[in-house]
Amino acid sequence: MPFVEDPAQLSKSRLKSDLVAHHVALPPAASKKELYVELHLKHIDQSNCADFSSDDEDPVHDVVGEDPENATVLDPSALTDKDLKDLLLKHGVKAGPIVASTRAVYEKKLRKLLQSGGKEELNEAENAVLYSDSDEEEEGDENKEEQEEPEGEQEQTAEALKLNQQRCNKPPQEPENDILKEIFPDTNATPTGIYATPRRPIKGAAQRPIQYAYPKTPVSPTTLERREVERRLVPIYIQILVFFTVVYVLYVISVIVEDGSSVMPLLESLNQWSDSEEGSPALDETQDTHSASGEL
Amino acid sequence: MSSTSQKHKEFVAEPMGEKPVMALAGIGEVLGRKLEENGFDKAYVVLGQYLVLKKDEELFKDWLKDTCGANAKQQRDCYGCLKEWCDAFL
Repeated sequence: MPFVEDPAQLSKSRLKSDLVAHHVALPPAASKKELYVELHLKHIDQSNCADFSSDDEDPVHDVVGEDPENATVLDPSALTDKDLKDLLLKHGVKAGPIVASTRAVYEKKLRKLLQSGGKEELNEAENAVLYSDSDEEEEGDENKEEQEEPEGEQEQTAEALKLNQQRCNKPPQEPENDILKEIFPDTNATPTGIYATPRRPIKGAAQRPIQYAYPKTPVSPTTLERREVERRLVPIYIQILVFFTVVYVLYVISVIVEDGSSVMPLLESLNQWSDSEEGSPALDETQDTHSASGEL
Repeated sequence: MSSTSQKHKEFVAEPMGEKPVMALAGIGEVLGRKLEENGFDKAYVVLGQYLVLKKDEELFKDWLKDTCGANAKQQRDCYGCLKEWCDAFL
């Protein structure tokens, strides 16, 4: 658009049709023209923001932009898939396909973004300033204030909030690492053994059990033994089987050597047994014994 | 102190095929039943959801929490399991 359309100069019906054309949810029919103007500015003019940056427009735009943001887009579930995706994109979230199963997640994400929408922009500005130079924080704030006037006061408080949030996020992770470091190396031990700092609690004392990151499951000696035994369970049976086989073979040999009268029935029983169990080695043996007894 | 469980290793070792949703690391009986109630009866359906969310960690974890009430550890385990499976087979 080569020129700026001042929504305030348009008629109410014109604003209405514009909003419908841009798929924006209309406010109730009896609302004032101002509401339509705000909506118009928010949805339609914001898309032209990238094309021009006018200082005149911004203050009006920002002041107007904050209120309707909460009033109109309050219900992401009322948006179409395309609008939801567009809004997410505007907040820097490259959303995937908005399907039945993903819609809920993206709506939730958008709600989260809308709530922290103002703080997010300030956080980005803050980060940019932090990365550049920490000393320039205050100066950067002042510069930002000059460029984005109405959000000056909120910026500082939001900044403080963000900093606190960041600090709060860190300590929960610290105690875990500190515990491990303190227990195992134990190099920084004080004479009394008590390590008291403002942030770290006294470990192992005053009914405060040491919390390992991954608590070990208690393993008693009996379970260890049982595990070993179970590992060897199969080999043990094989050993026993082999033992009895050897015993039987020796017995047979001793019987043959004795050469008693009861050899034949024993040999027959051996034959039967060997046929069923042993297989070829025993068969050879019985054949030899048969031939030996046959000759006798 | 292993960072991945036995279940994770077993799942990541081979294509998931028709494995049930409870074969995923972090998903036990309770969570598995809730997922099944929501229509995610096989591991590949959850994989589908993970892919449709463009493998985004935060979105997938949020979805998992909303769908079956998984806690942070379970979310982490499930996400890690699927991520590694995709790295290996996708």
